[in-house]
Amino acid sequence: MDDLIKLVRTYRLTAGLAERIRLAEQIFGLIGPDLHLFVFSHVSGPAAYDVFQEVLKAVAVSLKQFKGDTVKEFWAWCYRIARNKLNDQYRRQANDRLVPVAPEDLWQMMEASAQDAPMTPAVRHDLEYAMKLLTNSKPECYDLLWNHFVFGLDYADIATDRNMSYDSVRMKIGRCLEEVKSLVS
Amino acid sequence: MAEISPEDRLALHEFSVRYREAYAKSNPLSELHLETIQDAVRGEYEREQDAKRSPSVEPPSPAKEKEREPEEPDHS
Repeated sequence: MDDLIKLVRTYRLTAGLAERIRLAEQIFGLIGPDLHLFVFSHVSGPAAYDVFQEVLKAVAVSLKQFKGDTVKEFWAWCYRIARNKLNDQYRRQANDRLVPVAPEDLWQMMEASAQDAPMTPAVRHDLEYAMKLLTNSKPECYDLLWNHFVFGLDYADIATDRNMSYDSVRMKIGRCLEEVKSLVS
Repeated sequence: MAEISPEDRLALHEFSVRYREAYAKSNPLSELHLETIQDAVRGEYEREQDAKRSPSVEPPSPAKEKEREPEEPDHS
């Protein structure tokens, strides 16, 4: 992940077009799939393709204006841009909930990941447990749990997005996790 | 309210890492996406170059206007 912020810093200092394009391709090679996952988890159907294109364009155009110095800040900045584009889409389609991923699709991804990084029985057990937590929560919690635990948004980012206080978000996520744990245990 | 246990965090983190890695493998950026990025970078670069070539000319402030020397009469 260190490579990412190095690339972003270099991009900010680079004057030549060819070099900027080369760096942008490397940066987007690292962030593109996560932004894709974020967008496609929030919007379904053909609209998701359009929103994803809009997000790529917006991040690329603003890359030189990014002011932070850490990977965490960079991701928060990228997700803020993606969130803004998603909000534009929600205004059009009046829906702002995450699109639940079918448990079998999650399993398929886990099996694919096991081919590259084999799972010990303990890891497999942990992953099954995590998947149960993430797929059995009620819609409001599903959204919070995915944003925090899968996309890595911290309490402050989520609080800003939802116009809530940091502590409300922290407590809500804790409560959601407790609730779903009681359901799956 | 109970704090989130380190075990829960670890399990969810492991899931997140594996899921995102597997997702990235099955959803690499397409040529079309790369073109979108290249076009955006190129467009932004051209806007910068245009701005450098034609720096905005500020209209003279009223104070400066007063200080300005009257123009020489045209003797032609």
